[in-house]
Amino acid sequence: MPKTLTKKRMIINIIISLIVLLIVTSLCATTGTQKISLRNALSGPGAEPGDNIDYEIFIIRLTRVLLAVIVGAALACSGVVLQAILKNPLADPYILGISSGAGLGAVIAMLVPGITLGFLGGLPIATFAFTGAIITVSLVWFIGYFSGRSQVTSLLLAGVVINAFFSAIIMLLTLIIKTEQLRSTMYWLMGNIPEKQNTLLLFSCGSFVIIGIIVLWRISNSLNIITLGEYESKGLGIDTEKTKLIAFSFAAFITAVAVSISGLIGFVGLIVPHAIRLIFGPDHRQLIPLSAIYGGIFLAIADTIARTAFGQEQLPVGVITAVTGGPFFLILLARYTRKVSWMK
Amino acid sequence: MNIIEVENLGFDFAQKTILNSLSFNIKKGTFLGIIGPNGAGKTTLLNLLCGLLKPKTGSIKIDSKLVKSYQIKELARKIAVVRQEFVPVFDFSVTEIVTMARNPYLGSFAFPSESDKKIITHALELTDTAQFADRLLGSLSGGERQRVFIAKAIAQDTPILLLDEPTSFLDMKHQVGIYDLLKDVQISQNKTIAAVTHDINLAVQYCDEILILSSDNNYIYGQPNEVLTQERISNVFGIQVMNGKISDKVFFIPLGKYSKKDK
Repeated sequence: MPKTLTKKRMIINIIISLIVLLIVTSLCATTGTQKISLRNALSGPGAEPGDNIDYEIFIIRLTRVLLAVIVGAALACSGVVLQAILKNPLADPYILGISSGAGLGAVIAMLVPGITLGFLGGLPIATFAFTGAIITVSLVWFIGYFSGRSQVTSLLLAGVVINAFFSAIIMLLTLIIKTEQLRSTMYWLMGNIPEKQNTLLLFSCGSFVIIGIIVLWRISNSLNIITLGEYESKGLGIDTEKTKLIAFSFAAFITAVAVSISGLIGFVGLIVPHAIRLIFGPDHRQLIPLSAIYGGIFLAIADTIARTAFGQEQLPVGVITAVTGGPFFLILLARYTRKVSWMK
Repeated sequence: MNIIEVENLGFDFAQKTILNSLSFNIKKGTFLGIIGPNGAGKTTLLNLLCGLLKPKTGSIKIDSKLVKSYQIKELARKIAVVRQEFVPVFDFSVTEIVTMARNPYLGSFAFPSESDKKIITHALELTDTAQFADRLLGSLSGGERQRVFIAKAIAQDTPILLLDEPTSFLDMKHQVGIYDLLKDVQISQNKTIAAVTHDINLAVQYCDEILILSSDNNYIYGQPNEVLTQERISNVFGIQVMNGKISDKVFFIPLGKYSKKDK
């Protein structure tokens, strides 16, 4: 049984996890269908004219691995936070309609010819997906906020309705999409880490996600108390409205960033928080950073499998997370099940 | 000195008047029992006192300062509330739950200091919950959980303690145990306690003052032996009651249609 968290234990666990992240990232970056010489790769772009192919492949691969880490961290962290503010262990980053909004944005970007609007190193698809995601969560938040007394129920209902509505429009649009675009649309909807050397995208998204995770970590103690209920948390001096707004907007923001990089990768945001909670206990002060780190590790490994398992043919990573994540989670559940009260 | 001053308090819910021109003062260190039929506004009054609801008319002052002008953390250092029992969604241990009570005194990550830990241990010992400090809250029985919530309220270390039916779900031993415990902290820490209760007989024995709220928005405030009479209980609750006296304390037994009333 997880003991009560102390600052020392939390810091030690975070440091150990960061070391694991470093090791996994290096292993993933050196794994691939194309064999490269690590010595050549690490010797840099090459002083002499002519390309250092090993170096270029290594950088492309490393960028991809790091993007996977960023996406995994954002999704897992956002999952934890939404589970806390919705007081629902079944919540995931997509529960409030963000996936359908982003999906709709992406499909529109693929459908309309000649769209070239992109910023911060993102492609038009990413920009549209991000915009769609942000518009959708704002819409869900306003509907949820201005209707009904039980805010959580209204939010969930608004999310479900908007999800269904936008999904229908996505279905409709994929019917009229050109056949050659259909494959890339499907890849996007299943979740796929892009493979391009894109330093600007890496740094902009990376810093957005890290800032988001730090902000959410700062309110982690309030999130602990908020899971006791609104009255309890107000009685303990928590400004619940403010905390929920910060939690909701930053969770939505990092999810939108993740989705705009990689499309809709499922399971990470649901399974990783649960696995971490089963192993390390429910304290969000530790749950948030550890979920982010192990979310990144999980997706980096899943993406490495996606790009190497079938030789040159690459799979969407969303398929891998679903196929490996489900059984992995069941094993954990069987092993630790007595610790989860909502299973009773 | 009055720690709580309620003046001309009124509150509506869904176009229905729940409380109307309610005025009373509570002296520091008093144990107040709040009784009345279902729907008379007892829980509403507790929520008004701790600032969760805003009064429609009138004012509430804590330490001569309006409740609404308190910062939320500042108010949490004045009032602790024990609500009717709930089970949290995620599995926190007893110690973790009680530690959360220190939040009003701590920074954003709220790791407790040594002095906080002493207060927490003391609260666990007082409530006889230290024995299951490491167990998960969800694995405890209703009565054990209730004692944990009282431990949490004591660890919050506030001059005022509000309780909403602290002894519902409890057996007689634990009912008396909880009231003994409340009386202990009232005396040893000079806490002001206000408890909503349906158990008039326990209220008579432990409370210094009684507030009766009735469904027609009237109220009576006073000492138990003045306020609690057979006629008044009978009127407020709309039932027949039998009363008796043991030394100077009165007690009441409700009578229904099929109660055995043979003399």
